[in-house]
Amino acid sequence: MKLFRLIENEVIKMISKKRLMFVLAILIVLISVFAYGQNQSLTRTKAQLSQRMGITATADWRKLADQQLIDMKNRLDSPYLDEKTQSSLRVRMEQLQYNLDNNINPLAQSAAKFTTTFMEQSIFLFLPLLIIMLAADMVSGESSSGTIKLLLVRNVPRWKILLSKYLTLVILEVIVVCSAFALSAIISGFFFGFGGWLAPVATGFKVLAGKLDATGVHNVPQWQYSLMVYSLALYVAIVVGSISLMISILVKSTAASIGIIMSSLVAGNFLSYFLSDWKITRYMFMVNLRLTDYLAGSFQPIDGMTLLFSITVLFGWAIAAIIISFVYFTKQDILV
Amino acid sequence: MLKKSIWYSILTIACVGFIVLSLGFYQAISVTTAVNPQPLAKAPLTQTPEISSKLSSQTTNFFKMLILGDSIAKGTGDEKNKGFSGYLPEYFKNYTSKEILIDNAGIDGLESIGLLEQLQSHKLDKTIADSNFILVSIGGNDVKSILSLNDLAKEEQFTVRQDSYQSNLKQTLQVLRTINPNAIIIFLGLYNPYEKVTSPEDTSLLNTWNYNTQQLVEDDGKGIFIPTYDLLKYNLGKYIAQDGLHPNSAGYQALSNRISQAVGTIITGS
Repeated sequence: MKLFRLIENEVIKMISKKRLMFVLAILIVLISVFAYGQNQSLTRTKAQLSQRMGITATADWRKLADQQLIDMKNRLDSPYLDEKTQSSLRVRMEQLQYNLDNNINPLAQSAAKFTTTFMEQSIFLFLPLLIIMLAADMVSGESSSGTIKLLLVRNVPRWKILLSKYLTLVILEVIVVCSAFALSAIISGFFFGFGGWLAPVATGFKVLAGKLDATGVHNVPQWQYSLMVYSLALYVAIVVGSISLMISILVKSTAASIGIIMSSLVAGNFLSYFLSDWKITRYMFMVNLRLTDYLAGSFQPIDGMTLLFSITVLFGWAIAAIIISFVYFTKQDILV
Repeated sequence: MLKKSIWYSILTIACVGFIVLSLGFYQAISVTTAVNPQPLAKAPLTQTPEISSKLSSQTTNFFKMLILGDSIAKGTGDEKNKGFSGYLPEYFKNYTSKEILIDNAGIDGLESIGLLEQLQSHKLDKTIADSNFILVSIGGNDVKSILSLNDLAKEEQFTVRQDSYQSNLKQTLQVLRTINPNAIIIFLGLYNPYEKVTSPEDTSLLNTWNYNTQQLVEDDGKGIFIPTYDLLKYNLGKYIAQDGLHPNSAGYQALSNRISQAVGTIITGS
């Protein structure tokens, strides 16, 4: 049987199990809730600001922006500035100038900003959980329901069956990431307007000798930044998917496999907090999931981690997971 | 048939999405690892050489003043873009016919440790040695961040901050004095720019801060502490800029006036 037909079979199986529908439904509900909440807190922030700085400061933001721009220009002329501050100043000025030119209040939220932030916040926990929903019972589900027998008695090598399952998983991961993008762009568009895709966003931070280096900082348009965020999200999704699939094969019980991978994910979140001086934690996959932080220049949890480092560690985990999966799946005795 | 079409559309979306996202992935890697793509855009013109060349041509017909410290020293918030460097010479004219030359080394957001580091880098040594007056505004950024804390943490943090600030300030004054034992050091006190968020506790902390600073400055012997709190307290609307933090043009003028009055006799006498 051809691999293509096998994948088709797997995808149709996933659709008829309604698993993908569940994931999409969860996305729709959560994105709506987040967008609504963002909208609320935005109005609150504006109210607070105008209370503190006087109505004029928030209503007439152009004046303030003009003032800031002048200040920053002056600062840039100062001979006592180091290069690092200069480039981040230049980036800030470009952004402010864009806001002024296009009449965009810097406080205002936009669909583009929301879409990016949504994935930045989901990449280390929420997105992996969605992927686990898809991946965790791909093999163990068939073990527990007994259908694996029917699958394996056919005249197809086992590795081909597993490969088809794996590729199906990759396809679904792409679908989930793409629909997360589309859904949040559309839903938040109703709250904040559909624009904002051309606004400049600062990126290009590097970590040099444990310190954030802002010398290379420059602006890219928001759409490009979003694209980078979502592709990193896909990478994370594929890695988490591979690991879940491995656990799903090893454990054979769906509940146990979901439990194991979920607890390790959650543990990763406070592992980096409690054990940040313990060097070995940085080789764990859960600590390396926040890839987007490197783009935004937020500080990394453990000293010595860079984007390339994290990607390599995740790659190592994924490859190991795939190898273990294939070896175990082709060698094991299946008794149902 | 329906399942077939769903399968094909899923496959197409997945392929397209995968290709697009791989491009993004490549971009993400290159953006964080690429060698600095930004050439140093037009080196900012400095005013320092201009002033020092002026200095050599005239001999004793001028006063030199160096302004050190944070954004207030720099003149941030002034819509006319002058700040102390612009207004002080105007107000000093009432007391002397000599020219006032001003060097401004203020940096926005500078904390006391930053000022100390700036001085210890020895880039300013020559300017300090040449100055008759040194105006310092520092401390606002040291204390600003604790405002949002709760009362208990605030008290504790305040002590910590004040201790480090005081030791930094002490060393700063020492550095200044070793380079220039004769200059008059004019030190600006802190004010409260937030009219609506003033609790008695906050006011008391601010007063403690100012009082201790004043003690330090007066210990110097040739230093003078200029309070700003009283001048701005009921004039926030008039003297504070759009950003709600820095003085505006009128505010800088009022402060410059006060400074010139405080040191006026010294200027006239010398």
